[in-house]
Amino acid sequence: MKIMRVEKTLVSTNRIEAFGHRPLLVVQERTGGIRSVAVDAVGCIPGDWVICVGSSAAREAAGSRDFPSDLTIVGIIDRWNPEGGV
Amino acid sequence: MEVLQVIDDLVCTRRVVGLGAVSLRVLQSEQGVVSVASDPVGAPVGKWVLVATGTAARLAMPDPLTLTDLAICGIVDQWEPAA
Repeated sequence: MKIMRVEKTLVSTNRIEAFGHRPLLVVQERTGGIRSVAVDAVGCIPGDWVICVGSSAAREAAGSRDFPSDLTIVGIIDRWNPEGGV
Repeated sequence: MEVLQVIDDLVCTRRVVGLGAVSLRVLQSEQGVVSVASDPVGAPVGKWVLVATGTAARLAMPDPLTLTDLAICGIVDQWEPAA
């Protein structure tokens, strides 16, 4: 799993049916880092530090075994210091 | 599988149901890349551990339905990081 920060929500109206109405969020490993898009399975807000899962766990966490996600948010970290790590 | 070092516990109160109550650890590779693993063994901070990635990580957990992609499989007795 990766530690990421939620930057903003992503609006995508015309999407494949398999995505349903699942919320999509733009996440970043660090400020100014590469941005990725994750499916939100917990309900987080921009600024939250979260843990993102990949692989088959990402598909299942997003709703079902055949959900087409390769990055899903599975938890919100209580407190996290991005510089020192801990 | 990879060998990574435990650098901290991770407290995560709000989590998906599928993650259960598993312990989480912050791990760091020799190159400094930070990741989070589920921990079925109870590895202490500072130890080098053996981890499984991908779907294999779920099979390493007591309950294979646990939603994880990185799981600690064992604590390495002795490990010298490459210089």
